[in-house]
Amino acid sequence: MSRKSKKRPRRRGARPRRRPSPTSSAFDYQWVIDQADKVLAENDIKFAADNWQQVALDWFTANERDRNELARFMATYEGRLGVTWARDLLRLEVFFRVNDHTAIITHYDRTMARYPRSPLVEMWVAEQIARHGGDWWRARPMLLHVVEQLPNHARPRYELGFMHYLLGDFTGALPWFDEAAVQLTDDEDDIGARVLYNRSLVRYALDGDRKTAIADVKAALRLKPDYPQARESLRALRGRGRWVPW
Amino acid sequence: MVDERPVLQLTTYWFPTQDSGERSFLMKLEFSLNHPHSGDKPSLAEVACSTGSANQAMDLLPSIIPKKTKRIMRRLLQPWPKDRYTQAYNCSGGILNLFTPPWGEKQDEVWARMVAEWQAKSFPDEQVRQAALRALEQRWNTTPHPFFAGLTPAQVMVGGGPREEELADEFLERLDEMFKEYHFESEGDALIKTVLLLRGWQCQPQRDGQTIAQIIVAERDELLARRAQALA
Repeated sequence: MSRKSKKRPRRRGARPRRRPSPTSSAFDYQWVIDQADKVLAENDIKFAADNWQQVALDWFTANERDRNELARFMATYEGRLGVTWARDLLRLEVFFRVNDHTAIITHYDRTMARYPRSPLVEMWVAEQIARHGGDWWRARPMLLHVVEQLPNHARPRYELGFMHYLLGDFTGALPWFDEAAVQLTDDEDDIGARVLYNRSLVRYALDGDRKTAIADVKAALRLKPDYPQARESLRALRGRGRWVPW
Repeated sequence: MVDERPVLQLTTYWFPTQDSGERSFLMKLEFSLNHPHSGDKPSLAEVACSTGSANQAMDLLPSIIPKKTKRIMRRLLQPWPKDRYTQAYNCSGGILNLFTPPWGEKQDEVWARMVAEWQAKSFPDEQVRQAALRALEQRWNTTPHPFFAGLTPAQVMVGGGPREEELADEFLERLDEMFKEYHFESEGDALIKTVLLLRGWQCQPQRDGQTIAQIIVAERDELLARRAQALA
């Protein structure tokens, strides 16, 4: 799943570099921090007492709603944030751009968790903790907190619905997907497709209403035509395929 | 003449996480306790149930079984408590719960909500208050739990039967074929891909029109009924 808006320009140097000692399974936190700092330097990011808020805003998100949320957060905790926080936030952002799950989770645990809780940061990190760390029980309270703090965001609601689906609680998943569907914005095609697709599966599992399920999957495919699971499910719903590949 | 000596079978399966691999062993033990001991004789679980202790059932086990395994089996064969079945947190939950990361009372939002409601309520005296708590515990035992894939704690406690064992083996064989050579982005990714497959599979209707999840639930209910009969 892509985290960023597709309109967002790619930054120079945001590519993963090979870690030293690839045979070692030990995670070298200092090494990834150094790499992130190099990327920030290559992009000419300079943090100062009079610009850290603007730098954080410019780099962390292009989405208007998220920018407003981040601005509100920085204004609320101005006294406890600052240049160091902005640098740590942007390091986190670099890890997101190179899709380094271990670096994201480690950096959050070791550094970001020391600062006031930003619902926006927790939303992205909780997803990583659940989807890549495999720690659903740690991600869940984070997401529940985010849902309270961000009443208009579809993503944390989708993640909670998905978690209920994974737990085999289809009844519990449906209201989260419904809530997520209501909060979708025009620039959220990817997540929107996932919400509609997963909602169709859950609805079908619960009531067996094939017609509605087909309509939901079709709607998901309109948002994201390149969605193999949705295509496969559409075939299965039309009776020309199976839900599982055997 | 048929040789009825125990047979050692070795099977290797791929699992997305270490927890699920370890839990699969527990699931197998739960299945074995619900197998008819030999022919149509009662299962070890039924023997333990009817005698009120694990001892007689344990005596029926072949001596070759390792001590550690026997300890787990003895724990599973213990009489059930009269209050809440907290032991359910430590059962496998069968194939429907095999891959769910371990959780317990701390994560149990359902029980927490029930207790919070009970605490907020006022009662005429302490006796009534305690009776209400006991009723609540019984309700928890028999209510489908969202974190147990919709099984009740009692259905989790009773373990799976031969039909679920067949189905679980079928699923694990397919999983092994599909994923043992697959490259995953992370352990969490492996877990999610596995569980997505499981949730699709459990909704598959079988020849009789029932889905796999419905077959599993029906068999566990049947085992609970046989257990109640053995207790009577």
